[in-house]
Amino acid sequence: MKKINTILVIFLLLPAFIIAQEAPKEKVKSKPVRAPFSCPTVIDYQTVYIPTAKTLEFVIEHRFDKIENISNLFGIYGSSNIRLGANYSITNKLSVGYGITKLRMLSDFRIKYNILEQTRDDKMPIALTAYGNMGIDGRSEKYFGMDYKFTNRFSYYTELIVARKFTDWLSIQVAGNFSHINRVDSLMEHDKFGITFSGRARVSPQSSIVFNYGIPLNISAIQEHTTLTNAPQQNFGIGYEVSTSTHCFQVFISSSTDLSPQYIMMENQNDWTKGDLFFGFTITRLWSF
Amino acid sequence: MKTKTINNLFALAGIMVLAFVFMAFAFPQDGQKKGAAWDIPSKYIKMENPYADEDLNKVGKMLYSKHCKSCHGNKGLGDGPKAKQLETFPGNFSSEEFQAGSDGELFYKSIIGREEMPNYEKKITDDEDRWAIINYIRTLK
Repeated sequence: MKKINTILVIFLLLPAFIIAQEAPKEKVKSKPVRAPFSCPTVIDYQTVYIPTAKTLEFVIEHRFDKIENISNLFGIYGSSNIRLGANYSITNKLSVGYGITKLRMLSDFRIKYNILEQTRDDKMPIALTAYGNMGIDGRSEKYFGMDYKFTNRFSYYTELIVARKFTDWLSIQVAGNFSHINRVDSLMEHDKFGITFSGRARVSPQSSIVFNYGIPLNISAIQEHTTLTNAPQQNFGIGYEVSTSTHCFQVFISSSTDLSPQYIMMENQNDWTKGDLFFGFTITRLWSF
Repeated sequence: MKTKTINNLFALAGIMVLAFVFMAFAFPQDGQKKGAAWDIPSKYIKMENPYADEDLNKVGKMLYSKHCKSCHGNKGLGDGPKAKQLETFPGNFSSEEFQAGSDGELFYKSIIGREEMPNYEKKITDDEDRWAIINYIRTLK
């Protein structure tokens, strides 16, 4: 009887050993695709790219005047708009930043979070990044009309960016966004949904052609006015990008003079089809800590 | 009298120019020094390249262009546009002496670095990417 019991115990325990043998199989983790974008911005908009944790970016954005003719040296001699900003990657997926812009003496606080990363084995076919900023118009009170309150200065922009690196040389992203400006002129709107398309076509290991297109959506359900006065124009940009280990350079033509996406989406009156275009460049310096 | 003063001034200017020219020869520039021998931990010397047989040339070339080319040059001859600003010659990757090092030694030199050669552990985080650069440097001989 004792023998039978022993055999029974061994027999019952045997599957446990068999399973135990199979269990330690290493789970292969999918790796994210290599650099779907090399720079944190693509002309006027954000990319899904966030530099690795503990990286500090210093960003200089510059937009010249309207390209007219040689007498204003294609806008270079005219007035300009400049933004100086700093962003810091707290983790590989989260960055925060602050910047100041000449136009509207705007201060902006921003946050960017990488929700999903596209993987090399295509188990995750897209990258998904959320971006938000809050702007504070720094001009004198007289620009805000009657009943001034400090909150009149605030504006907001939130967006979800979906990107895919299709091939080694081509990455495209589409973003849905919502803009809100607290205080606007009586005939303007406070809210606007929009879509942006942007992408990068690599032409050499370091350089790419970049492009973007922003479409403000005039949705009647949330429209404050039945007819839009000074409806915002679609924004077009195309340029050339070079990225190195510590820098990212973009030189481009864009139809916006604003450097904050909420104002590009809501107040851009430049019609690129009629030649309202501006030269601009963005320099990003990256430091790893 | 006035002409004499002007002549004297010209003579003085001439002497000063000559003095500068002579000084340039008297104190020649040191130029770049050759890097001292590397002190590489044995862990790295023995390190195996897990991607030695894989074709990562495209990735390696892309990463080399982004991170290394500005100093080391297109073909690894140490003649990139930033090379002249360095105190130490960044090395000739095509030389037999350089290529004689093990993959692990190249890994240490490229990723860990020392002095003017920066550390790339934070910039190139993926192990496969790191070795892709080593594989690419191997093609520069």
